[in-house]
Amino acid sequence: MATTAALNALSLDEQSFADRMIAAYAGTPGALLSILERIQEHHPHKYLPPEVLEYVGDRMDIPLAQIYGVVTFYALFNLEPQGEHTICICRGTACHTRGSRNLLQRLRLELGLPEESEEGADKLCVTTPDGQYSLRTVACFGQCALAPVVEVDHAIFGHVNEQALRREVEHLAGRKA
Amino acid sequence: MADKISVRIDGEYVAAQQGQTILEVARAGGKFIPTLCWLENLSPVGGCRLCIVEVSGVGRLLPACTTPAQDGMSVTTNSEKLTQYRRMALEFLFSERNHQCAVCVSNNHCELQSMAQRLGVTNVRYPYSFPKMRVDASHERYVLDHNRCILCTRCVRVCAEVEGARVWDVSGRGIHSLIVSDMNRPWGDSKTCTSCGKCVEVCPTGALAEKGFGVEEMVKRDRKVRRLAGRRGGHV
Repeated sequence: MATTAALNALSLDEQSFADRMIAAYAGTPGALLSILERIQEHHPHKYLPPEVLEYVGDRMDIPLAQIYGVVTFYALFNLEPQGEHTICICRGTACHTRGSRNLLQRLRLELGLPEESEEGADKLCVTTPDGQYSLRTVACFGQCALAPVVEVDHAIFGHVNEQALRREVEHLAGRKA
Repeated sequence: MADKISVRIDGEYVAAQQGQTILEVARAGGKFIPTLCWLENLSPVGGCRLCIVEVSGVGRLLPACTTPAQDGMSVTTNSEKLTQYRRMALEFLFSERNHQCAVCVSNNHCELQSMAQRLGVTNVRYPYSFPKMRVDASHERYVLDHNRCILCTRCVRVCAEVEGARVWDVSGRGIHSLIVSDMNRPWGDSKTCTSCGKCVEVCPTGALAEKGFGVEEMVKRDRKVRRLAGRRGGHV
């Protein structure tokens, strides 16, 4: 029953990609992690829709609850569609003392994202409604000498202040246009 | 034939077999070690940290349910230090979720509650976190109340190991951990759940309960499930 539902929802391309990944990692320990990572990377919006998880669980005979447990345990997996650009702000101790909270709040204001919720204090991942930007936090980049550190689309910037951050975001918007 | 070994438990020599855990040996010798997540004939996880014991020559406390007994081992199952740590573990459990005994279906039939009474927990020294937790009443016969859950994973294991349905697992991490059925959909919508009720019977608290019971009315009967689990050919 689960199979037919998953088959209907997945495109042929997605199915064959998932099948290839499952075959490629078959028999290796921790295969599920690698498979899900590759599938997420393959997805245009860099996330794992429920149909994909159902399909993988069905093919690998892994219970859905276990797959869901794995996907929610590791921060690298996304269950929501990600924005075109990802801005990642470090919330480590060094960056915090150099004002990373201000950067985060400034960016939230500029992107029109809601205020910090109660539980989102340690791990944050929000995407703007237009799907352009995803804002994330990370515990530490390991670049504390450059604090505060911000990662914009996999490029790391050190000693970031509000003006620099705004410039980078505007640069992203300009590149898109 | 398994190898015979000899273990000292609280000063007494106890005969045991290679491969038995400290908890199994101690129980066979009539010793009481408090447990919450452990259940007879299910695979042990060592999550609740109530069964910690002192092993001489080992600097840290070891969980009795997952530590294999070794020949010549000397184990202390009860001491001032152990009681202190066991109480602490219980207090953390109480402060983590909303355990209001007075309005709980499992009041007076709760393993968490009776363990706290037995170990003399009279108050909780840590601030309660009062998390906002959901109650899943979508199943036609059972209720899942996250407020009472201590994440012992007995339901996860009994479902996977005895029933074979593999409905439950733990999602998230740390303080945000939650028991989920299938893909975090309502329990009632689960396609894998067989409604056997084994998870409900083995749940040590009122987190999993049958519908139609009021305060103090939910009495768990895990004896049959334990016996059923014992008929399997070894742990999964």
